[in-house]
Amino acid sequence: MPNKLFKHIPNAGLIFFFVLLTSFFCLFANNFSTSMNAENILAGYSFIAIIALGQMFPITARGIDLSTGSIVALAGMVIYDCMLIFELSGWVSIGLGILAATLAGALNGILIVRFNLQPFVATLATLAGYRGLVYAISGRQLYPELATTPLRDPAVKALNEFYDIGSWTGLDQFFQTPWIPVSFFVLLGVMIALFVLLTLSPYGTALKATGGNYEAARLAGLPVRTITISAYAMSGLLAGIGAVLLVSRLTTSTESLGIGMELTAIAAAVIGGTRLQGGKGNVLGPVLGAFLLGIILVGLTLMGISQFVQQMLTGGILLAAVGYDSFRTRKQA
Amino acid sequence: MKSMIRNNIGDLGLPIAMVVLCAIFTVAEPAFLSLDNLNGILRQVALTGIMAIFMTFVIMTGGIDLSIGPVMALAGLAAYAVYFGTELPVGFALAFGLLAGAAVGAINGFAIAVLRLPPIIMTLGMLSIVRGFALLMGGPDLHQIRDEPVYTFLGNGRVLGLPVSVWVFLVLTAVMLWVQKRTSFGLMVSAIGDNARAVHLSGRSVAKTVCLVYIFCGVGAAIAGMLLSSQVHTASATYGEFGTELDVIAAVVLGGASLMGGKGSVLRTFFGVLLLGVINNGLNIMNVPVDQQLMVKGVIIVAALALSEWAQRAKT
Amino acid sequence: MSNELLLETIEVSKRFGEFVALKSANIEVRAGKVLGFVGSNGAGKSTLIRVITGAHAPSSGTVKVRGKVVEKADPALMRSLGIACIYQHSSLVSTLSVIDNIFLGRQIRNRFGLVNGKAQRKRLQEVMTQFEITVDPDEEVGRLTPVSQKEVEILKALVASADVILMDEPTAWLSLSEVKTLHATIRKLSAAGKGVVYISHVLDEVFEICNDITILRDGTMIWTGPEEDIDRPKLVNLMVGEALGEASRAAMTAERHPRGTGEVRLATKGLTKNGVFHDISFEAYAGEILCFAGLIGSRRSEVVKCLFGDDKPSSGEILSEGKAIRFKSPSAAIASGICLVPEDRHAEGLCLQHSTLENIVIPSLETLSQKSILNRQSMAEMCDRQIKGLNILPPDPHKVVGRMSGGNQQKVLLGKWIEKNPKVLILDEPTVGVDVGAKAEIYATIRKLRDTGTAVIVVSSDLEEVMTLADRILVFNKGRITSTFDGGEVDNDTLIQAIGGEEVA
Repeated sequence: MPNKLFKHIPNAGLIFFFVLLTSFFCLFANNFSTSMNAENILAGYSFIAIIALGQMFPITARGIDLSTGSIVALAGMVIYDCMLIFELSGWVSIGLGILAATLAGALNGILIVRFNLQPFVATLATLAGYRGLVYAISGRQLYPELATTPLRDPAVKALNEFYDIGSWTGLDQFFQTPWIPVSFFVLLGVMIALFVLLTLSPYGTALKATGGNYEAARLAGLPVRTITISAYAMSGLLAGIGAVLLVSRLTTSTESLGIGMELTAIAAAVIGGTRLQGGKGNVLGPVLGAFLLGIILVGLTLMGISQFVQQMLTGGILLAAVGYDSFRTRKQA
Repeated sequence: MKSMIRNNIGDLGLPIAMVVLCAIFTVAEPAFLSLDNLNGILRQVALTGIMAIFMTFVIMTGGIDLSIGPVMALAGLAAYAVYFGTELPVGFALAFGLLAGAAVGAINGFAIAVLRLPPIIMTLGMLSIVRGFALLMGGPDLHQIRDEPVYTFLGNGRVLGLPVSVWVFLVLTAVMLWVQKRTSFGLMVSAIGDNARAVHLSGRSVAKTVCLVYIFCGVGAAIAGMLLSSQVHTASATYGEFGTELDVIAAVVLGGASLMGGKGSVLRTFFGVLLLGVINNGLNIMNVPVDQQLMVKGVIIVAALALSEWAQRAKT
Repeated sequence: MSNELLLETIEVSKRFGEFVALKSANIEVRAGKVLGFVGSNGAGKSTLIRVITGAHAPSSGTVKVRGKVVEKADPALMRSLGIACIYQHSSLVSTLSVIDNIFLGRQIRNRFGLVNGKAQRKRLQEVMTQFEITVDPDEEVGRLTPVSQKEVEILKALVASADVILMDEPTAWLSLSEVKTLHATIRKLSAAGKGVVYISHVLDEVFEICNDITILRDGTMIWTGPEEDIDRPKLVNLMVGEALGEASRAAMTAERHPRGTGEVRLATKGLTKNGVFHDISFEAYAGEILCFAGLIGSRRSEVVKCLFGDDKPSSGEILSEGKAIRFKSPSAAIASGICLVPEDRHAEGLCLQHSTLENIVIPSLETLSQKSILNRQSMAEMCDRQIKGLNILPPDPHKVVGRMSGGNQQKVLLGKWIEKNPKVLILDEPTVGVDVGAKAEIYATIRKLRDTGTAVIVVSSDLEEVMTLADRILVFNKGRITSTFDGGEVDNDTLIQAIGGEEVA
């Protein structure tokens, strides 16, 4: 019976864990079940969920993107430079930042397809390359006096707003509702868009086919090389969107932005059920995975557990998720 | 002409690149060819080189180890903790550091060889776990190492004009070269990278060799970590920062090892290390900002691999 | 409608450089009929299939679909003309659902460019109803049984409006009842006017389902006609039988040693692997060459893998020198003196980037090294021994094996096992892709091994080879031993009959 349940509700197991852990922390962590904490988690992890969704694309295509953190920094620095040095309008800068990120992702894809490089090597190299590029174009280094100037553009401010949904819907009569940050709405929007893309449009099937059985996809006439490149471009695009939200939150961008973020993104995606051998991916999974990580890390902080332990746990959870994934695959084989 | 280049680039590419680059750098800055500078190059690459030598074996089996940076820090801390925290002599401290490295390697090896986790993910996860563990044990601070003759010798000592770290690098290169060519382990590593299934069907334990390969890699990182510690007179959980593993992999790749496993040799990695040192040094001399050198390294890795892929396709 | 000529090849030949893969093939695929292609590996079946599906252009001759000449060899074109092929290895994406697989690359879209799920389901339902095939459209393909997966591939072809459906070894992974299901489906296809080409080694099935049969050998069509006009012995004879070469005729009179010295080295009792092979019981004696004869697909290699510890049987016993034993891995089998020269020397036998010397020493590393240090002297001696003993060319111990000819590669493979002095040596298809000269040398080596007391088991689909070498013959059919003979006491025809599946006393 439990097996059937798991089959019909995607991510049923994940939702279960989610509920379990939330309850655990509500009981044992101080201030966990406050609306302020909920706001913190939403604001802090919505953008990670977006980046994790991005990572889902290359993984579904049987690859991986290790350069996500560097692409985030790249987008961030482009936005920073555009706003503070070139004094372009907020939305234009943001658009350019996202464009830069998408191109960086596409370049990853091109290196992999054109030069037949293994994904992890190509993105390892671009992890270095793009990070170097960030330093090279860094406005903070070129104009040190700007280093302490926060971004004040109205676009940035708009993205950093919180909305009191509680009072709009009247829910706040029952309990203290958290104010929902814009980044969460952006996340919802992204999720809807990706759902349409992956489930309703032919692209989703094409992507899963390319990752699941490259030869069969090719023989069926699918443009597998283009699809592969697009998967990495999507990873870049979503990293760019995530970067926009992160930069708005911080009101600045630094050269070390996003270091290690690829690990979190991969962990979230894998926990969310994206199989490493490719061919499978759904929209809810990485989001649940990201927030699951968020709940664990924030909860542990509130329980007073050192952030170093948290770093270990992130790695440990990733390995546990991968190990479980590998175990399940071998059982089926 | 094109086919001639294609067929021989595998063997001749590296020496040629070395000569060309040295020429360019010397023209840009004559000080490049000074004995002092060349000495400096060796000293700068020694630590990367030590790790690259062991990483070669990992890559030959078709794997990778991204966790070496934090292992460096962990080993340095472990040795420091034993030495300054107990009455045990320095030798024990160093041995403990090596043990720490071996332990991480063993965990990696077990997960990859027996549990069949993908090397990239496993070592990526361990990177985080080991770093967190090191920070937990030692905090983010720098722990001073003072008045310790063995450490001072390791860090600043010179034998016959060359720093100790360089000697360790050279000796280890020679030893691992011998291991590669003259031991059954060396043959196994190479054969597994070529056709692990055939090796398994020949009745040999692939898992054992793969495990060992990661243990060696961990030990190599431990050696480098302790040498680093002694050079800067501090132990810290923050050492071996991001970028370390890239240097090591770049050196191995430059030396011509294919990341698909099978081909690779300690000798070629040695030259790859030197080439990387030349590139790094040359860029420094030409005043390219340190942070942008990251970009260059990325380009180098891609270019080296693309070239070797091109040469490979010629042979098939 | 019925009997319409859907597809024709007229005098089609295909040459790859010097090598003639196909000579003057004349095929007719008619609506409502099932045509069987029969022939050994290398007979040209794959080439013919590739010409028909447009993957290869013929070197000469024409291909016609419904009477019209096909100008270009283009897979997409052939698909659009209604020619579909279901290959032996699944071309389905196991992580996708049935319906996604069926419409892969050809999804029905609505006016927004999105997938029109309803239209797809409707079309699929139409086809499923028409041909009475039922599959759950939303089930993940990876979770389906093998026969259901084949049906999905058939549905894929039908939805794409294929009129000619080729099936290459469709029953390779199916159980007997699943084969019946598949055949029922094929009959429905015929009844609906489709033309089916059934390529198979399993003669029972060919006789069961095909209306017409074409036999290929060495690239030539040597017989074609209605199924009623030929019987099994004649078919097998045409497929594999041929006047045996001089050397083998001479060897035929050679001394045979059935049951060798009488000492049983290896035996099995009721060895079974569910769905693969059943109730295998035999004894292998020291000083004897025991041949496992049969057609490809009779599951001999699978039995042998279990003997070597590379796979686990479901039930039954393996006895090594009288002691019941289960080998957990090849190294355990080797420790008991059982060695295997695998069928695929490239994928499973040799390290192609390494030298002769390195390949030969790998199984023997313990004896060649002290505390892991290699003893170069002994290694060189070992290599030299085998190079001389087997006449490996070039006689250079450092020659990279990947650059050697097939025959010499096989010798290196043999050499590495001979050095282990095995008590039982199993060779799986030892002379595939090996030139005549090397073949003779390998046979001589096998006989020498037998004469020095080794129990030799040779798995071979080559009739001539079996007749030449065997002291005793076990005939396998669909995973069972159906006949045994003493070498030298059976004639060609009887053996052919047995291999073809007839029970022979």
